[in-house]
Amino acid sequence: MNPFKDAGPILRALSRNKIGAVLIALQIAMTMTIIVNSVYIINERYAKMHRDSGIDEANSFYLRSVGFGENFNNQSTIEEDIRNILAVPGVRAAMQINAIPLSGSGWSMSLQREPGADAEDFGTAVYFVDETALEVFDLELVAGEFFSMTDINWRQAGQSNWSDKVVISQALAERLFGDEDWPQGVGKTVYIEDKEPMVVVGIVDKIQAPWSGWDDLDQVMLSPEQLDYKSVRYFIRAEEGRRDEVMQKVESMLAENTQRVIRQVRTMEETRERSYRSDSAMIKILTTVMITLTIVTALGIVGLASFSVNRRKKQIGTRRALGATKSDILRYFMLENFLISTIGVVIGAGLTMGLNIVLVNTFGMDPMQWYYIPIGMVVLWCVGQLAVFGPAQRAAGTPPAIATRTV
Amino acid sequence: MLKMTNVKKVFRTDLVETHALRDFNLDVKEGDFVAVTGPSGSGKTTFLNIAGLLETFDGGSYQLDGKCVSNLSDSQRSKLRNEKIGFIFQSFNLIPDLDLFDNVDVPLRYRGFNRAERKARIEQSLEVVGLANRMKHLPSQLSGGQQQRVAIARALAGEPRFLLADEPTGNLDTKMAHSVMELLQNINAQGTTIVMVTHDQKLAKEVQRNIFVRDGQVSELHSVGDIPSAAMA
Amino acid sequence: MFSYYLRLAFKSMGRNPILSALMVAAIALGIGASMTTITVNYMMSSNPIPEKSEQLFYVQVDNWSPHNPYDDETGFPPTQLTWRDANNLYNAQQGTRQTIMAKSGGVVQPDDQDVKPFEAAFRLATNEFFAMFNVPFLFGSGWDTQADKNREHVVVITKQINERVFGGDNSVGRELTIAGHTFKVIGVLDTWQPIPKFYDVENGAFEDIEDVFMPFLLKEELELPSWGNTSCWKPRESDGFHAFLNSECINFQMWVELLDANAESGYLAFLNNYVNEQKSLGRFPRPLNNKLSHVMEWMEISEVVEEDAKVMMWLSLMFLTVCLLNTIGLLLAKFSSKSSEIGLRRAVGASKKDLFYQHTVETACIGLLGGLLGLVLALLGLTGIKSLYGDFATKVANFDFTLVLLGLLLALISSIAAGLYPTWRACNIQPASQLKSQ
Repeated sequence: MNPFKDAGPILRALSRNKIGAVLIALQIAMTMTIIVNSVYIINERYAKMHRDSGIDEANSFYLRSVGFGENFNNQSTIEEDIRNILAVPGVRAAMQINAIPLSGSGWSMSLQREPGADAEDFGTAVYFVDETALEVFDLELVAGEFFSMTDINWRQAGQSNWSDKVVISQALAERLFGDEDWPQGVGKTVYIEDKEPMVVVGIVDKIQAPWSGWDDLDQVMLSPEQLDYKSVRYFIRAEEGRRDEVMQKVESMLAENTQRVIRQVRTMEETRERSYRSDSAMIKILTTVMITLTIVTALGIVGLASFSVNRRKKQIGTRRALGATKSDILRYFMLENFLISTIGVVIGAGLTMGLNIVLVNTFGMDPMQWYYIPIGMVVLWCVGQLAVFGPAQRAAGTPPAIATRTV
Repeated sequence: MLKMTNVKKVFRTDLVETHALRDFNLDVKEGDFVAVTGPSGSGKTTFLNIAGLLETFDGGSYQLDGKCVSNLSDSQRSKLRNEKIGFIFQSFNLIPDLDLFDNVDVPLRYRGFNRAERKARIEQSLEVVGLANRMKHLPSQLSGGQQQRVAIARALAGEPRFLLADEPTGNLDTKMAHSVMELLQNINAQGTTIVMVTHDQKLAKEVQRNIFVRDGQVSELHSVGDIPSAAMA
Repeated sequence: MFSYYLRLAFKSMGRNPILSALMVAAIALGIGASMTTITVNYMMSSNPIPEKSEQLFYVQVDNWSPHNPYDDETGFPPTQLTWRDANNLYNAQQGTRQTIMAKSGGVVQPDDQDVKPFEAAFRLATNEFFAMFNVPFLFGSGWDTQADKNREHVVVITKQINERVFGGDNSVGRELTIAGHTFKVIGVLDTWQPIPKFYDVENGAFEDIEDVFMPFLLKEELELPSWGNTSCWKPRESDGFHAFLNSECINFQMWVELLDANAESGYLAFLNNYVNEQKSLGRFPRPLNNKLSHVMEWMEISEVVEEDAKVMMWLSLMFLTVCLLNTIGLLLAKFSSKSSEIGLRRAVGASKKDLFYQHTVETACIGLLGGLLGLVLALLGLTGIKSLYGDFATKVANFDFTLVLLGLLLALISSIAAGLYPTWRACNIQPASQLKSQ
């Protein structure tokens, strides 16, 4: 049996008394638009937030040491600090570093395959590391070899030249040497600041730059240098589960040296949370909006449908008198709502695409995949049918004797 | 055709028990044209609702076209109404947003006829009542008399066993009332049984058989001229 | 009549409590969402210095690489200046007033042994900074042109630093070791937190102001580090601090005060001349691309109002529209059940206008109730925003009187608009049709 065979008279009747249907259809259309685009934004942000940084975030933390005073010796302070930190029980690895992944501030340069001012270059984040970086960052060497202790040099403030050797991330290697041939990059020369050569001695799997919104997020170079600065950062990786206790001990141990200020002691987890805070907030807000909107629309449909049913009590009684069963009446109202919802989701599909185009053009998002729209249509159909079920049931309960009443 | 024996109907509220029908007996034969009259509160409407299977009853038995209808479910009653009874209401009860064609169509759809069958029946019954040329019009575009004729067409389209009319001329002026009654007489002459509830005595006189209802019971009048004066009160 | 209609309105709402509650709730939700996002947008785009925002201009010149522009998408010039350009433009003194500045930082060592040394943010600037930006002082004042020229070791500190180091006393004249050098305090600022922090949006439009302010040229004198963003397109000629200062690296900012449109075009002409001169010295390889933006223009170019905030505001307004569609439907339902009452009123002499007025009053009451509830919801929403976004939001997620008024007005107008069609329908009922028993 064709459930839609009675659609003809229903549509004809609707066309003569449009207002209730139009209101419901428009609400459905707009709700669909908002919900589908919200889900799309949420998915985008969620994917962005869950990109792997490549490091052992759960157990890592960092801090800044700012030295002052006439007699402050950068190098001996740093060497002593690292020795002392490594001696703290529960510390797995530690080193000095210039910037922290996802923290929002750092160094960026660009690398090129050929020298020259107009050669093609690729954005690179720069981390100055020592020979223990693989352990500190939980990195895997996927080609070549890593720095040894003798490779590490001190870097002065205002120094303009770079190290002879460099280790790069796989993502950067793929861009420099090609998606398939990147392992061949080991041993090749790349150029920094247009013309200074460096040899790629090794390639690591994955590590992120400091700026979460950067297009070249995974493009990183590791330079075997330690900064000879008064103000430095230490990155520390604790043994599994011991991060908080280690953090406390290290901070109070370093604070014993009163010739410097210890600042910004932070965990990587906190840094990630801060870095993606606005994305996380957006997701929560959009979710709240979606749920509230669905409830408002559903209640609106319940209200309008109840009103519409009440208005037609006489008609329902007449139909029953003429032979309609209760389920005939139920089906009538479910079908009527289905047809209205169909108009609504068709308009909604158009509005959704329109809004998506606006979002793409104004805010530079990627366009939505096609399957979002049919899924959205199905969801709104379901919302409409669920909402109208109550009033439709009540309509079906109308006693046939109403047909003969004259008030 | 329609046989009610000792039918009883009681309406109960918290405070009051109303016996709308008590020991109601009626036997309508095929081809009869019966007018059921009585003062307000006499139980005419209750009789109508029970006869039309719009309401259940509390005692006695009712046989419709040879079949006992006492213990039927709601859907069974709906089916019977659809197949056997043609309703005509005082306020026409046409659906305002549907044109005449769709209005007459309503009971046919519940019957399950296919499209061609329905079309044929609708065109024919609108022809019978003389409104076939206005099939696409809306009820609001018709006079009261014309609307009632459409309602009659709707009642006839399914070839019911009898027509059940509730004050069919109640909302019409004299001229229209007269023409509707003429139509009903014609239909009856073709062999269709008609049971008509009315408070209009003059109208009742025009009809073959009169039943008088008072306090939920029947008093039958065999001849048209025999109306007790008390009943006129 | 108005108070009569008011009474009628409340009676009517009481007769259909569920329906009325649904309507008030729908409007409240829509207003709540809208006012939350409108507030955030409003505060983010507020004018931090309305009394002279059209006379302060941010200076940009395009010293960038010949191979690619600084900003691929917009083609705008770099957002900061080099040391050389900042000093050259400042020394030319072509504006009514101008100031050049940069962000730096270092360790502050109070004399008081009980107060531990701490790291502070520095704002390096020329003396005009304080007058140009109407910065309020609690004690003392800024320095003068001589102090700038002579690179005196003088400093202006904020109220918070004054509390921390000197216990809140009038510290003018006292000394302080900053970045390893002795400085004399000559001024203490009163509470000052421009929202947005327009004079340096590059480093965070909603950041706190810096802790200490000192003469600009001390950067060179004391070789102070560069905080904030430093970008270079050209490799430096050699090692060392002076090589950095003489390079094409940008880290410096300039604001100029120009009193009218003539002054503005005059200054732009001056900038163009300057760049052409520099071109003849081999610098500025890109085509002329100089820009002067007044405060609000600069806020917009720098996209101070975050995209997310804008997206959310538009979504909220769409949400409000859905709520209003909802309200129209519910009003239709409500008024239709009153059709016999309306018929009666018409029959006893009420005109269509009377009925229109009566029902508009009812709609307005519902709207206002919804608006009040909506403002409460918006407060909740703003609290939520603060907890979700953290620091910067506490500056921005706050109501002021204008916003409360805006919220109520929005509720009133939108609900009356939603009520127009249902009210019109209700008033056009024929009295006779309602008086029959049918």
